[in-house]
Amino acid sequence: MHRLRLLLALVIGHCSLVIAANAADLPLVALFTTGGTIQSKGIHRLSLAEYNESRVTPAELLADLPELKSLARIEVTEIANVGSGNIDAALLLKLSKSITAALARPEVAGAVVTHGTGTLEETAFFLHLTVKSTKPVVVVGAMRPFTAISRDGPYNLYNAIRVAAAPDAVGKGALVVLNDTIHSARYVTKGHTYHVETFVSRELGPLGFVDSDRVVFYRNPLTKHTATSEFDVSTLETLPMVDVVYGYQEASAAPITALTEAGAKGIVYADSSPAFSKAFLAAQSKGVVIVMSDRKGAGRVTLSDRVAARNTITADNLNAQKARILLRLALTKTTETRQLQRIFNEY
Amino acid sequence: MNAALPLLRPPALSLVIGHWSLVIRRFAAAFVIGHSSLVISGISAAEIPDRLPPEIRPKPHVLLLSLGGTISGTAKERTNVTDYGAPRVGPDKWIADLPDLALYARVTPEDLRPTGEPPSMTTEHWLKVARRLQEIAADDSIDGVVITHGTNIMVETGYFLSLVVNIKKPVVMVGSQRPWTALSGDGPLNMVNAVRVAATPAASGMGVLHAMNQNIFPIRDVTKASAYRMHTFQGVDLGVVGVADPDIVKFYSEPLRRHTHKSEFNIARLPATLPAVEVIYGYHETPGYIVDAMVANGVKGIVVDGTGAGSIPNTMTDAIKKAQAAGVVIVATARTRGGRVQETPKRTESKVVPGDNLPPEKARILLQIALTQTTDVGAIKRMFDEY
Repeated sequence: MHRLRLLLALVIGHCSLVIAANAADLPLVALFTTGGTIQSKGIHRLSLAEYNESRVTPAELLADLPELKSLARIEVTEIANVGSGNIDAALLLKLSKSITAALARPEVAGAVVTHGTGTLEETAFFLHLTVKSTKPVVVVGAMRPFTAISRDGPYNLYNAIRVAAAPDAVGKGALVVLNDTIHSARYVTKGHTYHVETFVSRELGPLGFVDSDRVVFYRNPLTKHTATSEFDVSTLETLPMVDVVYGYQEASAAPITALTEAGAKGIVYADSSPAFSKAFLAAQSKGVVIVMSDRKGAGRVTLSDRVAARNTITADNLNAQKARILLRLALTKTTETRQLQRIFNEY
Repeated sequence: MNAALPLLRPPALSLVIGHWSLVIRRFAAAFVIGHSSLVISGISAAEIPDRLPPEIRPKPHVLLLSLGGTISGTAKERTNVTDYGAPRVGPDKWIADLPDLALYARVTPEDLRPTGEPPSMTTEHWLKVARRLQEIAADDSIDGVVITHGTNIMVETGYFLSLVVNIKKPVVMVGSQRPWTALSGDGPLNMVNAVRVAATPAASGMGVLHAMNQNIFPIRDVTKASAYRMHTFQGVDLGVVGVADPDIVKFYSEPLRRHTHKSEFNIARLPATLPAVEVIYGYHETPGYIVDAMVANGVKGIVVDGTGAGSIPNTMTDAIKKAQAAGVVIVATARTRGGRVQETPKRTESKVVPGDNLPPEKARILLQIALTQTTDVGAIKRMFDEY
């Protein structure tokens, strides 16, 4: 039955596949797949870290979860089938535009994105800043591949779709759902290399939980996002080049010089080194914007006149990879220091 | 960090004042209104950065309401951080010791410490504080309130207030782990930051907040998690809603559970005493006679701090059924301290109210207040879902 519907959808040439439309009154959730561990196949079922080249298709992913049929109608769009390391600006823009278009349709309740966990927080934050809708956008992944024993993917996907269809999830921006926990895309980070319980929001904590009895929210995020965001990617085909420099004892300024020569429009640094100062001045004289983040994983970089006097932007409590996403978008609007600092204060 | 670059201002000044951009703005304001003790000469308006959020009300009026606590305790030796107490300092002493408070607010003291020997925080005193706080809510001359409290049960007092006082202005609970006289005491900075939060317009409508260790929690979601360490207040499942950093007070999220101005309960409608509700800790073979004894003593509700996901030990089942038959309402919390007690068909059938993610000491307070309105299990369950 499933296959027949899939086949039919393919035959009529619709790029999106509609399956499990058994009850018209169920909420319609738009599922966008990009690949990642949740679609990856291990060499054997005890292989948690080593994957084959091939991944399961969106159709296989859904056929694996017949429980969804009583939960929601799912409309699938395959954006990519790659590991999260291969997500680039072109894919981010394609994904964001596709989600905005889908959520603009009144019949769509929310969107779910499958993603590799490595850079999941970056894509989720990008969507948090760019999708033009108040409807839920839920990014989901898995720590164990599709083929693994005790894999976490199916329940994560099931719960992600529950959140995307939950009325209480409206207006909260992009959400990350794994391990029954709902995080804001703004606050969440991957905090462990292999454990299932990897996604954490450090001191800020999750927004809510997906429990068996109901979807529960305890917090509403106050930073700007989605419908209230000033960023508009509808006409963008690419994003300004921004890279990250890591600070440590005796860190060399060579990466800064190299990035400046390579044409970076912005550099985010995660902690400093005495060698950085001169290279930053040289970079700034060529128009490169410098943003100060931190490598500790929690806490704000406080506003300081000393930093401001150097025309350096502070990244609030954004880690370097997320500060980079915000700076790429901010640079599509302005290169003016005060405006950039305002953006980092508000988002 | 960057000695090669010229600073806008003389380095000596920046050594004197750590978080100085904010301080200078306020010093400049003090200069304008002619408060001579706070003037630093030679700072012109041109040096005041406009990068920081604008001051909406330069000098809010914050009421510093003392309910005592370690923060009011003293000891003879500075290194004594465990065996302290009388003589306690009054709220006027905190203000005298902290001229820094004047940078952020006009702070006036009020002493509402419980009396008695030893002084103890009774329900009667809770009701008194709640009535006073309800008066303060209607007093236009007060912009925000800081309430000091001993740390052991401060979140219980705060949660009670958040349920029964209809107030929108900031209410901030604060305390300290070390006495006022201690070496490296946490009290002074906690106090300064609590006043800053209470003077912050964004803290309005957030309910009763808890501000210690530069963290801001909704009182519902914070608990004391260490006996002596200063970073004792933690959210178990949930995190901070904001931070009181050296530069600014910033809020990242708002609590969604009902409180203060969104609460259906009000101190004006509460009886003079609250229904008796007690807590039973769940463990392997918890005996049912504890339940029997509570019922014999006239409790109206029992919170069972269940094992795992809020399971009531089988050894108590019969006693619980008898208690329910006598009209006692049973709430289940989870001694795991993380995670909600969920609604399951079994729990619904047994008429046990799931305590959400509240610890039993807070579930007890909500149940006490709920029982002033209803004994209907469905209605009480709705309250545990919403508060």
